[in-house]
Order: sequence, then C-alpha cells, then structure tokens
Amino acid sequence: MSATAGKESPGYYACRSDEIQPGERVIRELNGRSVGVFNVDGRFYALRNRCPHEGGALCQGPVTGTTLASTDHRFVYGMAGRILRCAWHGWEFEIASGRCLADPRLRAKTYPVVVIDGGVYVLMERSGRTQAQS
Amino acid sequence: MIIDCDVHNSWRSSRELLGYLDPYWRDVLERGELPGGRDSFPHAHRPWLHPEGFMRTDAVPAGGGPPGSDYDLMRTQLLDRYDVEYAILGGDEGIEVSTLANPHLASALAGAANEWMVQEWLGRDPRLKGSIVVAPQDPSGAAEEIRRLGEHPDMVQVIVSSGSQRPYGDPVYWPIWEAAAEMELPVAAHLGGQGGVNANPTGTGPPSYFWEAHALLCETGMGHVASLIAQGVFEKWPRLRFVLIECGVAWLPAILWRLDADWKALRKETPWLDRLPSDVAREHIRLTTQPLEQPKDVRHLWSALEAIDGERTLLFATDYPHWDFDDPERLRIPPAWRERVLRENARELYRLPRRAAEVAAPETQRSPG
Repeated sequence: MSATAGKESPGYYACRSDEIQPGERVIRELNGRSVGVFNVDGRFYALRNRCPHEGGALCQGPVTGTTLASTDHRFVYGMAGRILRCAWHGWEFEIASGRCLADPRLRAKTYPVVVIDGGVYVLMERSGRTQAQS
Repeated sequence: MIIDCDVHNSWRSSRELLGYLDPYWRDVLERGELPGGRDSFPHAHRPWLHPEGFMRTDAVPAGGGPPGSDYDLMRTQLLDRYDVEYAILGGDEGIEVSTLANPHLASALAGAANEWMVQEWLGRDPRLKGSIVVAPQDPSGAAEEIRRLGEHPDMVQVIVSSGSQRPYGDPVYWPIWEAAAEMELPVAAHLGGQGGVNANPTGTGPPSYFWEAHALLCETGMGHVASLIAQGVFEKWPRLRFVLIECGVAWLPAILWRLDADWKALRKETPWLDRLPSDVAREHIRLTTQPLEQPKDVRHLWSALEAIDGERTLLFATDYPHWDFDDPERLRIPPAWRERVLRENARELYRLPRRAAEVAAPETQRSPG
C-alpha cells in the first residue's frame, strides 16, 4: 500500500484523511515502524511511536495543551491540541516539530505527511537492514 | 528473564472487597462515607494531586477499569513483553490503609485486600507472587495478619506504606517485626501513605507541587533506614530483611556515611548496636531500583551504587503500570551487575525457585540498553 510521493522518500499510506478528525490520531505500522498520524486543526503530522526519552509508547499518550512560559505565578494555558504527552512518563512534545518542551535538544522523530486524493501518506526512508536493531 | 519487584494490581472497584469482609465492615464499606464515590477505597489521599493522573496512559484496559486491573493487559504489556520470571505484586491502594485513623477498619481492609490478592490474582499465573499488606497503626492486628497468611506459598513479603506515624524502628512496631521474623518474610515499605494520620511525609512541612514532592519522598526512606538501624531491629531479629520500594537509591550512600560518622562518636546512645550502620544496611536492607536516578554522566550514578554494594543490594522494579515506569532494557547499572540486580538478588531474598524455561515468553526484539 505504498505510493511514491517524492523522489527519494516513498509515501506510505496511513489512512483516508476523513478517518482522523481534528484532535484525533491513528497509529499504524508503516515501513516496519509504529507511527502516529495526528490531525491538528486540519493539518496532518506524523511521529514515530517511540519516545526519545525511554522508548515509551509516545503516540498512545494524550493530546493536550500546556502552560506557556510565564513569571510571577501566573498560569497561562496555551498550545491547546498541539502537545503530545508520552503515555509512559508524560514528557511533552510539540506535535508539529517533535520538540521536547523540557529539553529542546531532544526531539521525537517526525515524518513529513502528504495528502493525495484524500489519502494520507507518511514519507519515510526505506528501512534497511541496519535499522532493524534500533 | 527478570524478576520485577514492584508491580501494581488493582481492583476495578473497592466493592470487589465486600465478600472478603466481616459483616460489620462490609456494612461500613457498602453504606458508609467513601472518599471518592462508591467505587473508591477508604483512605486519606496524599495532598499532592498528580496533574496528569498517576498511570501510564497506554495501560488503561480496553474493557474499562483502572490500569493494573486487567490481568491479560498486564500479561501483554509486562509479563510476556519483558520475559518476567516473577512479578512481585504489591496491590495498589491497599497500603493506603495506613492513613486511616481507625486501626480496626485499617486492619479489616488490609485483610480483605490480602484475601482478594490470594483469590483473584495469585492463582492465575505462576509468575505472580503477592505481598501481605498490613496496617502499621495496628501493630498487634498486623502481626496477626502476618501469621495468618505467612505460610501461603505465593505470599513472599509483608508490605506497608513509607508514609507512617513514626519511623519503623520504633518499638511500637516491634510486633510487626517479630511476626515477620517468625514467618521468615521480608518487610517492604512502599512509597505511599502520605496523608491522613501520617502527617509528616517530609521534614519541612508539605511541598507545593507534585513533582517537587515526588522527588523528596525519599525522605521517608531515609527516616526508616536510620530508625531500623539505630533501634537495633536487625540485632534483635538477625534474619530480617527490609525492602525500600520506590524511594530512590542514590541518596543512601550519603545517609550511611553520616550515620557511620555519628555512630562512631555517640555509639553510647545505642549500646545494642556494635557495628557500623553501613554494615548493617548492606546485610539487611534492599532497595528497588525504580525510579532509578538519572544523572547526565552515568558514572556518577554507578559510583553511588558501588558505595552501597549495589550489585547485591538492588532489586530491579518497573512500577508497572504507574507513570514513572522503568524499562528493564534501559536500566542504567553496570553491565556486570545485570544478572544479580535483574533476577538473582530477588530470587535469594524471596527464595524463589528457578522457573522452567518452557513457560518463558519469547525474547523481545529490542536489544538490551
């Protein structure tokens, strides 16, 4: 079920675009990887379902907002629907970028997504033998 | 294969305990006030509420109920996935009986929780071993419960919460130690019980935030270690072992250095203690690894663990299905220690026979970290 959407990275079919409503996600085995595909306000994003912290089930965690940086004990809630919290330890990642909020040097693996004729495709490099052990 | 020394199995509702209670306590549980709705378990909640819930969110059973309440999911996510030789079950809310003011209610609920453990969990899978929960505020009732169940072949330890009214070496608790020694069972203190009558989980008064409090709860472990050694509990019952569950590890060397130094100067206060506190600890105290501290440079952790002979004193634990689960494949201990820490220390402590290989699940696909 793969389609070639780019020259080098084949697109792997995840689902129809109407299968994921805004705020929702699907988790699929694509190209030998467990991948979460998220609809954030009508845009699609894909992250590997493996947390860079401890290898937990990142994409099975809740999609939430969080507190924005502030001072003086003010609590400013923001980024609603744009944060994915790992199912294991609750570390926060921005869905669009994979950036970890507590440690900007840490990123969850993200993949580009294209929608072609109502199909959602995740662009992934073909997994070679050397990747099997990661 | 691993032996996981901290696994939580839950009831879906405290009503599952009704059949294991005597009529008066059944009536209290059925009709009396409960802290969180009809399914909740009588206890005083800790004052820090976890802002994301306390559980791994991928561990919620598809059929409903809290994480840890579904044996099949536990088998998939833990027992089979990590090739668990034994899982030491500690229940979940049971140890919170220590927060109740009424010692009779606390012991009745502990007894029901133990019967529930025996009847609903231990027979299901030869990998499951149980802990006898007791109410430390009722020392004689606790001792009676330890003697009632101490010979059950699948009950391998006594368990209490780390939150307590007094440090556990205090003579008021000695009936518990005496019964455990008689039944040859280790006694474990598991992180918890920080509420109700256990008013002093930290020394400064209560911290404000959950993560702040969680990191500080090793304080209860420090207090129990110092108390058990100073009060001479292990001199009185030389075969006793004390297990600290989920109270952290890396603080122990520093506390033992301080205890050793102060004992050398003032040993006259405790003439029953005739050797270094650190020697007593090495022989009698075991610690579960989760949540193992995570310094940037792992050598800093290892030097701390070496100082307490971690190869022989640490017991591996995941804390499944709680939010701060540790993955055995990523445990940061010296590679040469893995066999002892992941299995053999627990096997010796709990006297667990080696299980035949044919019941083991297939190796997981991930390489050891």
